[in-house]
Amino acid sequence: MASQILPLELIDKCIGSRIWVIMKSDTEFTGTLLGFDDYVNMVLEDVTEFDYTGTNTKRKRILLNGNNVCMLVPGGSGPVTEASS
Amino acid sequence: MENGAAREGGDPSGFLSEIIGAPVVVKLNSGVIYKGELQSVDGYMNIALEKTEEFVDGVKRRAYGDAFIRGNNVMYIAAED
Repeated sequence: MASQILPLELIDKCIGSRIWVIMKSDTEFTGTLLGFDDYVNMVLEDVTEFDYTGTNTKRKRILLNGNNVCMLVPGGSGPVTEASS
Repeated sequence: MENGAAREGGDPSGFLSEIIGAPVVVKLNSGVIYKGELQSVDGYMNIALEKTEEFVDGVKRRAYGDAFIRGNNVMYIAAED
């Protein structure tokens, strides 16, 4: 049982790589994870925001509030490519 | 990041200190967007903006010289590129 990986350790391993963030609401983000804190507030780079309307918004760098985050998918490329594959 | 050191502005507090004074986009959970100069932020993500413009559904609605946004409403703060 020595080799259990804690959830936040998993996120720590994702720093520097692409991540897919799914919010409690209909919004989703993909971007490169630059860092995060204990609340899972995250700094993301080269971000695409996926709206429930299907609108994609590009942002260079954002600080995402962890309060409304539901799920993180390491290496996830977002809802669009997922749907088209 | 190559030498294992955290990149400047990598963690949330570093990012915030880096973008103080810069033009930012703040999106609320309601979808309303505020653009302005970031005057200050605190640990609750309470935000003070200057020269603020308010956008609802992408359409400019109002302008404020100074605005305070309570942190619980904030979805993200983006550095305007």
